Order: sequence, then structure tokens, then C-alpha cells
Amino acid sequence: MASSRDDFVIAFRSAFLKKENKQKFSLFTLLFISILIIILSSLNFKIIKDLKSIISEAVYRTSFIVSVPENFLINSYLKVAEYSNFYEDYKKNKEELKNFQSKEILNEIIISENNELKKLIEDFTFTRNKILAKVIVDHDSPFSKTLIINKGSKDGLKIGTNIYDENYLIGRVIETNFKTSRVLLLSDLNSNVPISISPGDVQAIVVGDGTESGKIKYIKDNLIEDIQDQSIAYTSGTGGVFRSGAPVGRVSINQDEFSINFYSNFSQLKYVLVEIENSNSLSTTDNDQKEIVLDDTESVKIKLLNDQIDILNDSNKKFLEENTELASQNKNLLIQNNKLENRIKKQTTEINQNKLDQEEFEFLKLNLLYSAKCQKSVFKKGYEVGTPEYKNCILKKGRE
Amino acid sequence: MVIFRKNKFVYKLYAWLPILFLLFSVLNEFDLNYLTIEYFSFNFPFVLIFYFTLKEYNRFDYLLVFIAGLVNDTVIGTPLGLSSFSYIFVCIFSVYLRNITIRPNLIKDWFYFLFVITLINSINYLILFFFFSYDLNIMFYVINNLFTFLLYIPMSLIFNNYLKTIND
Repeated sequence: MASSRDDFVIAFRSAFLKKENKQKFSLFTLLFISILIIILSSLNFKIIKDLKSIISEAVYRTSFIVSVPENFLINSYLKVAEYSNFYEDYKKNKEELKNFQSKEILNEIIISENNELKKLIEDFTFTRNKILAKVIVDHDSPFSKTLIINKGSKDGLKIGTNIYDENYLIGRVIETNFKTSRVLLLSDLNSNVPISISPGDVQAIVVGDGTESGKIKYIKDNLIEDIQDQSIAYTSGTGGVFRSGAPVGRVSINQDEFSINFYSNFSQLKYVLVEIENSNSLSTTDNDQKEIVLDDTESVKIKLLNDQIDILNDSNKKFLEENTELASQNKNLLIQNNKLENRIKKQTTEINQNKLDQEEFEFLKLNLLYSAKCQKSVFKKGYEVGTPEYKNCILKKGRE
Repeated sequence: MVIFRKNKFVYKLYAWLPILFLLFSVLNEFDLNYLTIEYFSFNFPFVLIFYFTLKEYNRFDYLLVFIAGLVNDTVIGTPLGLSSFSYIFVCIFSVYLRNITIRPNLIKDWFYFLFVITLINSINYLILFFFFSYDLNIMFYVINNLFTFLLYIPMSLIFNNYLKTIND
């Protein structure tokens, strides 16, 4: 017993403390250093932050280079898949483009109205500059949904800066280095975003589920019924971390669970937009300037409405053309229909005639064989030739 | 190996391949996540570190393993030092197994590996949950553990062949 304990101690000491051949440090030393680093990083020590920042700058770039072959393979596969669906996508896009063109006009009007109203309720405005950033590391780990972008504190990024894919919110900055930043995606388990769900204007919080979607939490029980499938979720701006009105995704209802399908596909991000805020105060005393701004807004609105009228006229013209074409097609089809109906009628008559002929032929055949059995004579009961009873008797092959 | 010995640079590169592969895998998060198979992931560095420490491969420097851990933390965004701690822990258990083993057996090593990675993943989970207040899905850890365990046998067969070519 004692010797086995001694063996354990020897093996343990050897594993822990002994510096092996060609090893510069014992495992104990390295273990101690790593525990020390963990403790210091949990206490947010500045040395650890700086060390992490230095390592990050070097590692992110290296990681980007190292990922090149793998990314090339993935992208090649995706490109092949994309080419195979090219024609179908083209048709869908064409349809969508038509819808978007008319929606865009309405959106521009709403944006211009929105800006006007914001100016009326506030004496300052935030001009938002969106700068383009490249995604340099995106490993899609199951444990953390983050990505690294090539813009950092040098470009004005701060912790909490909102990140977009086109107009869709995708996350916020949680760590900034000099020229790189880490973005926490909305799908991460640690991401919480206050949202408004429209229609109904229901306030809720969307929490990432660690995969590709989010779960809606913290809704008041009496408001659950107001939420419909495919409702639109956008940021409410509560808490001040995310600005209000940024589209997030669509609501999906599975049994009693509410989830969000994000508009953006986080696994396909190559470039993102970083929103940097600059506060510009507007002078409230300068009324003339305000009027000029309002005049400008009015002229923009008139221009947009004119554009919309043009678009509506164009679509009207197209509809009329389509209508005429459809009417002529309809006429042709009616003529064809009549022809076909006549043909069917003729064929039905022929078929019926054929049936009668066949029955007659059958009767005559049987008549030759069984006329003696059915015919009435002086000595025998029967039926008179030509009566329906006689015919029936022949078909039954004699009297019963 | 005759070809390698003629070219010293290629031979050196080949001999340092495990550590290069370790650094490559931590920089690239090599776990085939882009296949988007639900929950599918594995921890390749654990397999690599466990195997080469167990075989006492002299070019497998613990300091480089420690640095690989720091790199991994930076790439995946976990608190600095956590992966280094896990990797060094794997090394310690692996060295301990080597010291107490007289007749190496792949199956025994395999199950010992399961015990080690389960312990380390549990410690990782606890540290992240209690000290850093991370929200984590335990299911990801369980499945990652399982796939890492299953990967050990095929990878050890490949590594065996690699060591054979080095020793030839």
C-alpha cells in the first residue's frame, strides 16, 4: 500500500516538477504562470490588458493569413454552389428589385420626415458616419460567436459601437485594440438586445442562442398574444447601447417559443459597417437656417413624390400593356376551347353509336342460337318476335 | 527519411510539424465548424498535445504549448491564460500517465484521455461560469468532448505513422 502511494508521489512529482530533456520550463512553472494570468485577467489588471492587446494585434493578422487557404476552399465551394443557383437567384432578384424600388421611395420620404421630427424635438442631432471594416477573423466557434474587424480605437471605435451588415444590426464592439476590434454577434449567448416588435409595438429582449438565431425573452404575459409570426423586430434603443430603429430580424413562433431569425447571415460576413457617432450641436436661435433646412426637406419630399408618380405611371403603362396582351390571349383560348368542345361532342356520339351497334350484333348472334327457345308457336309458349320480352329472352339465352 | 536527410531544412520542418500544426490549429480554430453540422465540434489541440506529450516527443516544447494557449485565448476571445492552463493540464496528466505506464496500450490511453478532457472541460466551464460570468451552453461542451474523444484513435494512428517516419 505504502509502496503504491510512493509510486504515485514519484510519478506525480516527476510529471509536475521535473524539467524534462530539452524543456526550458517545468510544467509546474507554466501552470503557475497561467493561473496567475487568469487571476489577473479576472481582476482586469492593466498589464494583462496591454499584453492581450499586443498579442491580439499580432495574432489577428497572423490568423487572417493562416486562414487564407481554408477560406479559399470554403469560398470556392460557396461560389460553385452560387453559380449552380444563378438563374433562379436572378429571377428572384429581379422580382425583389421591382418591389424594393417602390419601397425605397417610401423609405426616403419616411427618413426625411423622421429627420425633420428629430430636429423638432431635439436641439442637437447625431450625425452617424458609417465606415467600412473588413472581417479578418471569423472562426464561427460554437462557444463564442464573435468576429474580429480591422478597425480599432485609432478609427474611433469604442466598446459598445454598433456594427451593421448593410442596414441590419449584427452586433456591438466588446474589445478594442489599436487597429483591430472584437465584435460580439447578436447570436452569442452573452448578447442581449432590447427590441420593439412591430406590429403591436411589444417591447422585449432578444438573447442569442449560440447558433444562428436568437430567443425572445422578458415579454409581459398579457402582450404575448400581440406577437404574430413573421413580425418585424428592430432595436428599441432602451439602455442606450444600441440606437433605436435598426432592423434586427423577423419573429418566428414555434409552439410557445418565440425566436428571431436575423436578417443577416453571420457566417457570410466579409465586410461590415461600423457606426461612429459625432455629436453636432445645432443652433436653436438661428431661425433662418432652420427654415432653409425645412425648405430643403420640402423640396426633397416634392422631388421624391414626383419620382414616385413617375414610377407609378410607368407601372400603370406596363399593367395596361399586359392587360391587352392577356385579353387577346384569352380570346384565342376561348376559340380553342369551342373547337375542342365540338370535337368532344362528335367523339361522344360516335362512341355511343358504336356501343349500340355492338349490342345489336350480340343480339343477332344469340338470336341465331336461342330463337327456337324464345319464339312463340302453336305448341310452345314464348314471345312474339320483335317484342322487348323476346329480346330479353334471347339475351338471357332462353326462357327461365 | 533518406530524402529528408539530404535536405536539412525540410527535415527540420518535418520534425517540427506537430508544434507547427498546433499553432496553425489554434490560429485557424481548426474544428470544421463551417460544415454547419449542428453541435459538431472537436478540440484538435487536446488530441495533439496529449499524444505527443505521452510519446515524449522531444521537439514538443511545453513553452510553445503555453504560447499556443495564449494565442487560442486571443483568437476565440476567452480570458487570457485559460487555454494555456488547459493545455498545460493536459501535458501534466499525459506525463503522469507516461510515468506510471510500463506497457503502453492504446485503448487504456484512449479512456484516460476521455477522463482528462472531461475534467479539463469541466474546469473550463466552471471558471468561465463562476469567475467571468459567461453564459455557456453545456451541451456544446458535452458534444465537443465526445467528438474529441472519438477523434483520438484515428489521429493517434496518423501520429504513429508520423513518428515511425521520424524514427526511421
